[in-house]
This record gives sequence, structure tokens and C-alpha cells, in this order.
Amino acid sequence: MATGADQVAGMSLVAFSLLLFSYYTVWVIVLPFVDSDHMVHSFFLPREYSVILPGVAALVFILCVGLFVGIVTWKNHKPKKMD
Amino acid sequence: MGSSFNILGQAGKHPIEEERRQLVRSNMASRRGSGKSRVKKDKYSVLLPTYNERENLPLIVWLLVKYFGESGFDYEIIVIDDGSPDGTLQVAQQLQDIYGGDRILLRPREKKLGLGTAYIHGIKHATGNFIIIMDADLSHHPKFIPEFIQKQKEGEFDVVSGTRYSGNGGVYGWDLRRKLISRGANFLTQVLLRPGASDLTGSFRLYKKEVLEQLVERCVSKGYVFQMEMIVRARQLGYSIGEVPISFVDRVYGESKLGGNEIVSFLKGLLTLFATT
Repeated sequence: MATGADQVAGMSLVAFSLLLFSYYTVWVIVLPFVDSDHMVHSFFLPREYSVILPGVAALVFILCVGLFVGIVTWKNHKPKKMD
Repeated sequence: MGSSFNILGQAGKHPIEEERRQLVRSNMASRRGSGKSRVKKDKYSVLLPTYNERENLPLIVWLLVKYFGESGFDYEIIVIDDGSPDGTLQVAQQLQDIYGGDRILLRPREKKLGLGTAYIHGIKHATGNFIIIMDADLSHHPKFIPEFIQKQKEGEFDVVSGTRYSGNGGVYGWDLRRKLISRGANFLTQVLLRPGASDLTGSFRLYKKEVLEQLVERCVSKGYVFQMEMIVRARQLGYSIGEVPISFVDRVYGESKLGGNEIVSFLKGLLTLFATT
């Protein structure tokens, strides 16, 4: 069994993902069938953001991965070149 | 009759051989207890590539002798030392005097030449028909070896791999960061390569000797990726792979850090495999 702190970290990861998943599902799949003057719409951002936000998130992620690989490769080449 | 399928649902490589095996098995079953006209006995060669394992080697040899002795299987241990500066070879020679030169074979090399070549070197001198590879630093416990053997016999598997990610397999001694990286890497590998095995980077495995020869011949990568490539190529060639959950105990001293370098070379290797298989 994982240690206490690790279990907490794991469960919070699961909880966060579930939350995100439910929010997004309701936003994209349920809301279109709900009358536009219903109160529930006030909890959700305008519809465009349901495409923009994941798009931006994916871009940021790819950027971070690229930066990471770039930095590691650069550090690798630097000492070799110094020799 | 005709085609035969193993547990993973892959067609048997040689249907005729499979039929012959089944015939032999049923013959043995019918003659159980009546005669000793059995097929050739199985012998297990354990390959131990070592580098600076002076303190761990006696322990692991003792454990191997204990568990093999209890199980009654025939075995030999091949120590492949790569010119360790700490005197691992001397320790191995003393162990050879204790346990006998037929149980412990020494096949050292002058310098650190890498795992793949160590396997090739070991296979050349192995007299068994099965080969077990494992780490000599006590992260793999020999108590799982009888389970490997039993699993292999159950399904006539070509490869049996110890898995940390399925059943009650697991790891002891990793912090959260390491565990996350490991899970992330495994997930990525499953998505890209669809290997049909849950643990690709593990190095605690049992192979049929001829299967290992074939695989090592075909593999081109090094390090973590080498172990991954073995499984992927095995699947490619149609070999059957069985799994046994194991516990991996990370080295207690001098924590082996997983730096950015290893991550990047792993990703590179993974993409190469993805592109070429």
C-alpha cells in the first residue's frame, strides 16, 4: 500500500479529474438542452471557452514538453562542447 | 487440430510442434507414476550481470540457492562481472568454492560493456534451456522465480515477465515524483505501442533460451528502452508472454535518481520504437 501522503495525493488527483470531467460534460452535453433562461447557465462560462480553454491548455502543455526536452538537450551538449 | 491458440489469443508459431507437445503431455499424463521415460529435464540459467555488487552478490546467490533448492529445479548461476573495481570477482570466486563450480559459473569481462552484450555473453555459456534475467542489486527477490517457472509451465509461455503494474505487483521505496513518472511513462508506452504486457521496462524475466537469442539479435537500443524493445519484438515475432506480479525494492542506499536526461532518452527511444515497429 502506498504511504499516507501518497494516497492523499492520488485521491486528490482522482477527485480533481472527476470534477473537471463532470464540469466539462455538463457544459458541453447537458447545457445545450437546457432553456437559455434557466439559472444553471450562470455557473458556466460562455460556450466558446469550452473549445478555447482546452486548446490553450494543450498548447501550453506541448510548449512545456518542448522546453523541457530543449533544456535537457542543451545542458547535455554544453559540457561536451566545453571539453 | 490445425491452428492452436495460446492464452493471449495469438496463433501458435509452429502448429506441428504444438501438437507434438500436446501428445507428449498426454503421454506423460497417462504414464504418470508408471515409468521414468520423461522428456529432457528443464534447467534454468540465471544471468547476473554485475558491476560493483560486492556486498549484494553473496546475498543474492544465497537466496537463489535457497529458493531453487526448495523448488527442486535444476539451475546454474552465471555471474558476468564487468571488471568491477571493488573486487566483486574475488567474492564471486569465493562463492564458487562454496557452492560448487557447476552451480556458479564465472564469465567476467574486462570492462563495462553494457547489458545487451552481457546477455549475449551469458547465453553463449549457458547450458540451461531457460534463461532468467534479473538485477543483482537485490531489487528483484529470487522468491518470485518459482512463480515464474510455474507460470511458464502453465501456459507454455515463451517469455514470462515480472510486472510491477498489475495484480499485486508494486514498488517499494519510490517517492511520489518517481511513481508519477513511472506511471506516466507506462501509460504513454501502452498508448503508443499497445504491447500486450503491463510492465515494459522491468528486467526480471524468464525466457526460453532460443527466444532470448532471437530477441537480443534483433534489438538495437540501450538502457530502459532495451527492455521495452525486447517485449515489443517478442510480440512482433508472435511469442507468447505471461506475467507474474512482483515487488520491486528500490536500492536503499544512494537513491538512483531519475534525471531529465533519462526521461529524454526514454522518450526518444519510445518514439523510435513507435516509428519502427
